[in-house]
Amino acid sequence: MDVGASTIDLSKATKLKYLKFLWGGSTVRWITTTLQTVKSKNLQRISLCRDGVLPEMIREEFHQELKDLDHLLVQFWITHSIRLQVTYVVGKGMEDLRDCVSSLLPELTRRGLVDLVKGLAS
Amino acid sequence: MSLPPEILDLIVDHLHNELAALKACCVVSKSWVPRARKHLFARVKFDDSESHTEMWKKAFPDPFNSPAHHTRSLSVQGIPVRIAAADADVDGWTRVFRNVVDLRLSYMDQTSFLPFYGLSPVVRSLHLTYAPLEAFDIICSFPLLEDLTLVGLFPTNYADSGWDTPLTSPKLTGSLDLRTFGRARYVIPRLLDLPGGLRFSQINAAFFFEDVELVTDLVTRCSNTLESLSLFPSLLSAFH
Repeated sequence: MDVGASTIDLSKATKLKYLKFLWGGSTVRWITTTLQTVKSKNLQRISLCRDGVLPEMIREEFHQELKDLDHLLVQFWITHSIRLQVTYVVGKGMEDLRDCVSSLLPELTRRGLVDLVKGLAS
Repeated sequence: MSLPPEILDLIVDHLHNELAALKACCVVSKSWVPRARKHLFARVKFDDSESHTEMWKKAFPDPFNSPAHHTRSLSVQGIPVRIAAADADVDGWTRVFRNVVDLRLSYMDQTSFLPFYGLSPVVRSLHLTYAPLEAFDIICSFPLLEDLTLVGLFPTNYADSGWDTPLTSPKLTGSLDLRTFGRARYVIPRLLDLPGGLRFSQINAAFFFEDVELVTDLVTRCSNTLESLSLFPSLLSAFH
């Protein structure tokens, strides 16, 4: 199935304050399309939690998806003044992925709009 | 010097998380025992060994003199838990857990959860983990239920034959923690069928991408009250 095309319609959830996406695969398009349905004016925080480490090689399509998500989240920050948080996992003996995550969401990190939080490997 | 009992109670209350200290209090004086028991038995867990339930029944042969009325959180785990239907009778030993607020039932077979129907009228949080879908019926036996955790509920032949929608259901105004492992098509329709409706303010859902539409239905049903949503979809094929 086309996972990226999966969208959870949140248009009717008009009281939403906190949204959290746990993201384990190599697509984030479903997050972008789901966020595009949000109509809530009460939104205060969006969290992205990466479950597992990022793949070493990122395909071009995935890179574009991340770019779209990055752009959308910036728009959310502008229109909703929300707090954005990205949690990422670093396995034992692995190098810090903070720089890697920052490069994946460049506009957000360049503007200093996102809190990067280091999670623990399960 | 003797202290007023209220002061002693306050001192023991400060030790509510210190099991060793509470046990030590019980051997200081008989007058200290009731207050220490209140905390010692606030959380009770029976695991899948038969000895736990047998030990309980042996220690407290008269259910009405057992410390079960102190229990706020009861956890029962096992396939099957050695709890007979007779234990759930009016004078059975499970019935005296009447003040349980947080009930956790896991790894149970089709019949072992029956004694827990309506166990306590004040249950506000129910966790069903790796239980058959029949366990779903128990939800409606707790009128004040707010928080619901459903993890890995699985269908059985009996469950496949249909479900009689209950006449009433609790308000369910708290949190829903749902992990379906590919069985969303069994679990979510039952939630949507609850006659009292769904008013969860928080939903944490782990599901397969194939079940996105069902999750959307669930979110939509709670749209008037939902404030916090956590989504963790995964790919069914990743599990095969």
